[in-house]
This record gives sequence, C-alpha cells and structure tokens, in this order.
Amino acid sequence: MSAILFNITYAHFLVLAAVLFLIGVLGVLVRRNALIILMSVELMLNAANMTILTFARMWGDLSGHTFALIVIAVAAAEAAVGLGIVVAVFRGRRNVDVDRLTTLRH
Amino acid sequence: MMRWVFILVTAFCLWGAAGFIGSAADAQPAAGGRPATKVEIKDSARSAPYGHGDKLENKPSSKSPGMALLFWSFAAATIGGALFVVTRRNLIAAVMGMVGCFLGISAVYMMLYAHFLSVVQMLVYAGAIMVLFVFVIMILNRPEDEPVAPSGRAGQAIGGIAISYLVFRLIMLLINVKPPTPGALEAPAQVQLPNIGAQVGERVDWGSVKAVGMDLFGPGLFPFEAISILLLVAVVGAIAIARPLKDDNEQGGAA
Repeated sequence: MSAILFNITYAHFLVLAAVLFLIGVLGVLVRRNALIILMSVELMLNAANMTILTFARMWGDLSGHTFALIVIAVAAAEAAVGLGIVVAVFRGRRNVDVDRLTTLRH
Repeated sequence: MMRWVFILVTAFCLWGAAGFIGSAADAQPAAGGRPATKVEIKDSARSAPYGHGDKLENKPSSKSPGMALLFWSFAAATIGGALFVVTRRNLIAAVMGMVGCFLGISAVYMMLYAHFLSVVQMLVYAGAIMVLFVFVIMILNRPEDEPVAPSGRAGQAIGGIAISYLVFRLIMLLINVKPPTPGALEAPAQVQLPNIGAQVGERVDWGSVKAVGMDLFGPGLFPFEAISILLLVAVVGAIAIARPLKDDNEQGGAA
C-alpha cells in the first residue's frame, strides 16, 4: 500500500487520466446544461492529452508533445464553435437545456 | 460554503506549485538514508506480480516522498476541480472549478517533463478558453431549474454496476502497464539538436520549447499547417453561427 502511495509510477498518471476522463463522461451523460456538457468534453480531451504525454514520457518520444499541442488546438476550435452554437440556440429558445431540444426528433 | 471550497482548492494549487518549484531544485541529490526507502523496497517486493517490482528496487531516486506528496496534491486538485464542474448548479462556480482543474493538470504535465505543454495548457485553457466560457455564461445568465435528469431506480442500479465494473477493469489494466524506462520522476535524457551548417547543434532539455519545436516543424509540419486551416474554418464558422439573424432583431436584440 505504501508503495502505491509513495512510489509514483506511470500507472499513477494513467489512472489519474482515466478518472478524469470518467468524470467527463459522467458530466456529459448526467448534466443537461449545454455549457456543462461542453466543459465535460474539454475535461475528456484533457484526460486524453495527459495519457498521450504520459506515454510520450514513458517511451521518450517527443512526437507525443506535438500531438498533444494539436489536440489543444482542436479543443480550442471545438470550444469556439460549440459556444457559438450555444449562443445561437439560446437566442432562439431562451434556454440551453439539451433535453428540450427535440425539434429534430419529430 | 461553495466559495470557501473553491478558495481552499485554489490555495491548495498555489501551495502545490510553490512546493514543486522549491523541490525541483533539490530533487537531484537522491535522498539516501530516508526511512521510507527501506519500507518501499519491502513493499515493492511484495507487489512483484505487478511486473516492475524489481525495477523499483534499482532506482531509489524516484522514490522521493516529497514528489509523491506533490503528485497527490495535484491529483486532488485535478479531480476535485473536475468533480466541481459536474456537480455545481451555479455555472460560474463550475468554471472556477474548471480553472483549478486545469492548473492541476498543468502541474501534472510539469511532473511529466512536458514544460512547454504545461505553459501552453495554462495559457490556452485556463486563460483563453475559460474566459470564453465566462463570457458566454454572462450572456446567457440563466440559472438552471433542475441540473440532473431524473431516471428510474433500476436504470441507476444497472448503470452503476456496469460503470463500476468497467472502471475496475480499466484501473487493473492501467496498473499493470510495464514501463520501458524505470522511473517516472527522473529527468529524461537530453535531446541533441541537429547541426545547421557550421553551427553545431546544442543539447537541450527534453520537453523544452526548442526540443518540441524541432519535432513540431520537422515531422509534424503538415499537421501544424492543417491546424491553421482548421482554426480559420472554426473562427469563420463560429461567427457565422453566432451572428444575430435579421428576423429576431425585435425580440432579442440585447442578446
């Protein structure tokens, strides 16, 4: 037990990233506000980034850092477009509750 | 009460960052005669079925208790901030938890010797993206009625059991990962930059701006250029989506 507590290995970082990803999935599945869902998606992207960086450190390969930088750029683009969609939806409907967005269902 | 939790998390982050900066200086002299070393050798021998118990014995320098304390504090900040995001009803509180989470993630990147990515994480996420979220929340300014969708008791039970099983298997799998290089907290080998003309390439730290830049503008040049096009398309698309239409000027001009 104290080996797990005091001896930080790569598995610690991987488990931390997995828990972070899990919290993001939980937020997307459970919450109904579109903004919280977008933030949970950002959490998941960060967890993936942390996994990439851990494996890059593990294998001593710097191309993982390039990949993580590109993931950050894609996440920024996703946040901009997603927030634009949220603002457009709010302008038409006065709420951003994803459970009430059922127009395409009928 | 919520505000105090957030203040505590932030102070925790700052304390951890200060401790990390302070301990990075004296991380090199491997603490020889600490009492924890003896205990961990015994325990790592017991955890030999995990595959890398023998490697842990050979590397006493990666078993610094201070680094372990820092890792756990950063992990607590990260997980606490993430839980703050998915549980708060107030959106501003959720964003503040997200900022604390990103600061913790940035510190964890620093522990992984990704210095450049750590700074980029702090600038882009905690700076730019979170400011964007705060602006949109200020525009919307609508508190939630019921943040969590109600569901049946049976569905909750089945979903909980399935998620618990999946998490258990995932963590067991990740714990069994065998690293090709032994210690996570030791400094990696330096990177030799190539010679340019008569200029001899220097040796730079792994994960520094120069080392990442050599990879980014060498093998990663095409993705880098593709990202610029993606960002241009995203900017144009976001403006096109969020632009007010002509027919709702009379009802929602302020928004």
